[in-house]
This record gives sequence, C-alpha cells and structure tokens, in this order.
Amino acid sequence: MEAIADFLDSLVGGVDLICYSLAIGSLFWGLFVLRPWYSHAGYTDALLEKTIALLYKGGFALALIQLFKIVLKIWLMAAILGRWPFPEFADTTQFTGGLIRMVLTLLVAGYAYLYLSKNPFSRQHWMTTGYIAVPMIISGAWLVHAAGRFDNQVPLMALTVAHQLGAAAWIGGIFQLVNIWLLRSNMRVPAELWPIMLKRFSLYGMASVAMILITGLPIALQYIDTWNGFIGTGYGNLLLVKIILLSLALGFAWLNRSAVQQFGASGDNYALNNRVPYYIEAESLVLVVLLFTAASLASQPPAIDIPNLTATWQEVLDTFAPRIPRTSSPSHEALLAGEAGRVAIVGQIPSEAATAWSDYNHNISGIFLTVMSFVAMLSYIKRLPSAFSMFDKYLPLAKYWPFGFVALGVFLFFRSDAESWPLGPIGFWDSTFNNGEVLQHRIATLLVFVLGVMELRARMSHDPNSKLPFVFPMLAAFGGLMLLTHSHIGFQAKSAFLIQVGHTLMGVFSLVLACGRWLELKLDRPGKDIAGFVSVAALFQIGLILMFYREPLY
Amino acid sequence: MKRLFQLSLLTLSLLQLETVSAHAVVMDNSLQIAPIHANRAEKVELTFNSQVELGLSQIFLVSKGDRHELLKATKGQQNGRIVVEIPPLAPGDYALRFKIFAADGHLTEDVIHFVVDSTEGEDQAGQEQSPNLDRL
Repeated sequence: MEAIADFLDSLVGGVDLICYSLAIGSLFWGLFVLRPWYSHAGYTDALLEKTIALLYKGGFALALIQLFKIVLKIWLMAAILGRWPFPEFADTTQFTGGLIRMVLTLLVAGYAYLYLSKNPFSRQHWMTTGYIAVPMIISGAWLVHAAGRFDNQVPLMALTVAHQLGAAAWIGGIFQLVNIWLLRSNMRVPAELWPIMLKRFSLYGMASVAMILITGLPIALQYIDTWNGFIGTGYGNLLLVKIILLSLALGFAWLNRSAVQQFGASGDNYALNNRVPYYIEAESLVLVVLLFTAASLASQPPAIDIPNLTATWQEVLDTFAPRIPRTSSPSHEALLAGEAGRVAIVGQIPSEAATAWSDYNHNISGIFLTVMSFVAMLSYIKRLPSAFSMFDKYLPLAKYWPFGFVALGVFLFFRSDAESWPLGPIGFWDSTFNNGEVLQHRIATLLVFVLGVMELRARMSHDPNSKLPFVFPMLAAFGGLMLLTHSHIGFQAKSAFLIQVGHTLMGVFSLVLACGRWLELKLDRPGKDIAGFVSVAALFQIGLILMFYREPLY
Repeated sequence: MKRLFQLSLLTLSLLQLETVSAHAVVMDNSLQIAPIHANRAEKVELTFNSQVELGLSQIFLVSKGDRHELLKATKGQQNGRIVVEIPPLAPGDYALRFKIFAADGHLTEDVIHFVVDSTEGEDQAGQEQSPNLDRL
C-alpha cells in the first residue's frame, strides 16, 4: 500500500498544477485578454459561461486536489510509520498550509460560481474575484520547496509563486483558446472572434513567457551552481527537459503568431482556421507534459546540495555512445542468484547478471524500435530505388509496422522484472502493488501492447472518420510522460541519474513522436508530410538510444 | 474528435509517475570526521539541506542480515541537523537507513554505510571512510 500511496502522492503534483493553471489562468484571461466589460459583438453568453465555468471548475478541482494531497500524506505517513501520524502531522506546514490554501481556493471558486457567473460582464465582479484570489495565490508559497530551505527562503518562495503565475497565465490562456476554438466550431461564437482573441493572446502570451523566464532564471541559478550540476544531476536534467519543452511550445507559439500576422497583412485566414487550431492542440499537449515535468523536478534534490553525487559531462555523454548491442542474456537462474546480494543493504554485492539482463532488455527493445521505424519510413514511399525494385511487391506490408509494438509488449512482459511473475518467484499482485518501479514497468508494457494493437487496427481500417488513429499519438505522449518521470529505486543517486538521463531524452522524443503524428493526422500538405517524417525520425532516435543503452553496475 | 482530444488530455493529466528521490538530502554527517568506536554508545549528527519533520521521520540501524533497529533521534543545535543515538556496536559493517519527511512534504529514503572497526581508541573507521562510507 505504501507504493500506491507514494505513487498517488506524486501523481497529484502534476494534476494540482493543471487545475491551478485552469483556475488562475482563466481569471487572468478574463481580466487581461477577454475584458468582458468592454462590450463586443463576439462576446456571447455561451463564451462567458464557458470561460467562467473553466475558472470555477478548475478552482473546485484544485481545492479537491489539495484535500486529496493531505489525505494521501496521512495515508503515506501511516503506512511508513505503522501508526496514526497525528498529532505530529497537524503541526506541519503541509497540513496547516494545505488546509488554508484549500479554504482560500474554495472562496475563489465559490465566488466565481455564485456571483461572477451571474454577472459575467461586470468589471467589479471580475476585479473582486481577482482580489479574493490574491491570498490564495500567496498561500501557495508555503507549499513549495523553497519553504523548507534555509538560505534565501523568502525570495525563493516569492520567485516560485511568480513563476507559477506566469506558467498559469500562459497555459490557462492556451486552454481558453482551445475552448474558443471548440465554441467557434459549434458556431456558439462568431468566426470573427477567433483571430481577435489569437491576436490579443499573442502579446499576453509573450508577457507570460517573459515572466516565466525572469523568475525561473534566478531560481535555477540558486539551485544549480555549476555546469556539471546542470548536465550531471537529476535536477539539472529535468530543468533541461523543461527548457526543451518550453522551446517546443514556443515553436508552436511562433507558428501561431506568424499565421496571425499573415492574416493581419493579407486578410488570408486559411492558416488561422486550418493549421493554428491544431498547433494549439499540440502545444497544449506539450504544456501538460511540461507541468508534470515541473512537478517531477520539484521532487529532485537541487544540484547545489549534491556536489559529490554529480556526474561529469563525459559520463553523461558516455551513456549515449554507440556500442555493439548486447544480444545474449544471462540465464534467469544466474540473475536470481545475484539478487539477494544486490538488494542487501549491509554487504551489498553488485550483480553483473542484473546489469547484463537490463542491458539486454533495453538493447533488444532498441533493435525492435529501430527496425520498426525503418519499416515505417518505407510505408511512406511507393517505390524502392531501382537496385531494390524486386522488393517493391512487399512494400504494402510495411503498413503493418505497428505489429512490432505488440511483439515488443510481449517481450517486455516476460523480461521487465525478472524477480516477478511470470519468470520470478514474486506473484503478480504482490510485485505490481508493492513496488513502484514494477508498477511503472507493468503500465509501460501494457501501454506498448495496446499501442501496437490500436495502431494496427487504425491502419487496417477503411473508415475515413475513424478515431482510432488518434489513440497512437495520445498513448505515445503518455509513454513520453512516463519516461520523463521514470524512477529507478535502490540505486546510488549518481547511478540513478545516469539511467534517468537516457530515459528523459527518450521521453522528449516520445512527445515529439506524439505531436508529429497528431499533426500528421490533422494538417494538410506540406505540414502533414513534415510532421509525419519528424514523428518517425523521433521513433528512430528512441530506438538508437535504447540500442546503445548500458546500465551502471549496481 | 474534439471529445477524444479533451478525453485524451484528461487521461494524460491523470496518469503520471514521479521519481521517488526527493528534495531533502543529507549533505554532511559526523561519521566522516568522528567514526563509531566498538562497544561504545555514540551519537551521529546528520545535516540535511532542508527542514525536517522529525516526529514523522524514522532512522534505523541496519546490521548484518539487514536486521533493522529503530533509533532515537533529536533535533540538533542548528537548522537541518539531527542527532541520532547509536547503541554500543560490535565491530562490523552497518548502515543508517532513514525515511525522512521534509518540510516541503516530500519523503526521502536514503542509506549511509559505515564500518565499526575493532581497533580500540583509534579513529580507524574514520581513516577508511572514503571506501567504506557511501550512500545508496
């Protein structure tokens, strides 16, 4: 039960940030972008109703999540301590600060639900909602990591809250844009509103990103004091991932802005209506993953605190160095023989067999993916070069490349956790729910298998309106999210990081794969073809990383 | 399609995994300068990078065969410091295993290995700390 409580505890961190972005981002959207008190023909009742609904629903969800976090902490403490954690837990900042924030959030959501929703065009009601939100926003400062630190505590708390505000403004704004696009598609707002809101958001979005950067930089400099700390620790690595994801999202933002400018210059709204909505969908995907990465980053020890456990850049580069893949596995008996010594706390003996077992799993998976992505590339061409023309008749079979995922899922099911069922002595339920790492592997295995089945069915379907093709990018994005937050328990911090760095890079490529495929399905040419190629290329990169993977001896 | 997108985003939001390593870590410990002597009750001071909720934390002495013994711990004189009382120990390999609830709400699990040397009155273990004292 401890594993499930710990798993759920970490899960709510990302959900908390999403709800916060919905509530506070919607409030800022109303105050600074929509400004409904200035009458506009496009401001329909449906628009205001939906905008405010996102605000209070996000707020109520945030309050619920806050309560859930407290309950989970109590559960986790009880599981670990083997006793009821009170009265000690009642004295913690997490308990009192969490309760206060929950009540303040309820006040904001309650006011929006009871009063703002009935006076959606009233400036006074919007301003009042903003005033009520101020203490709620400030109360969050006692729940961030800076609150537990000894140096520069107050500035760091303030910067973190401001950083969260910038992120909430941007991401909440993106959610609101998706909302407007859906309303426009259902003809509940006039079509003219779409370019107006996009243009307004353009400037607002830039201000939000500027705030994220201005507040994020000093936090990063406080927690990371060397280049090695940036490159060679889990904290630095996840920060790097955040920067990459931010750049990806900004890339989409730039495409949106270009389309708005093109519309402004020529009046041509083709890109505005046929590309921008899908860029925004992809951007939303990236930003949601970014929020979960941010939650994950918050659980890492800052690089400045672990100078002796920091990897060098040479060690990091070495994890990606090309090498001959391991194609032979140690026997299951040899692996199990070394397990007792490997997991011992006192008198631990590193297991060569365990490392070789893991290398084999990763390398073979890499070969699977590399071959699959190569076949996937073939599925996009109609004819091979003349030297290989005798194989042209087999080209139609290339569309079945997702079958590789099914085979990979079966392979992982047997090989992921050697000490657990079906190969090992620990039963299925016992291993799955008492070990967070095994649980993650089980989910990943199921994910890969389902991914293959769904995509195979999607490619075999002749229904042009089938929704099945969209399952693949969503599951790929989820897979990326898992990789970005993958845990390896029981390693030294440095070893854990050297494993993490490969997984996080694969997570980024998985997200690229997901966004590329999503856009391939949605866009017209030539964007469709570019996105499709980028998607398959990302899969190829994941295959290469896995094929050359080497686990540290532990 | 829009529903699928919304549903997918929601699913994505609800399914997330996180690393178990946490914000609070031991930055320093007195074993590095004051090793444990055999058959003598001692105290070990741990220095954390973050405030710790001591009442919700546990520190175990782990001896050969991974036998666990819960130790008494008190707050040190400075912020982030915890003093752990070690009972008299026979020479051998040991570890301190702790589950620490930090003020930021994260749980930290870590292990510090150490050796109790049979040499009386000499800081033998301290001299050998580099190879013998490491963390899981």
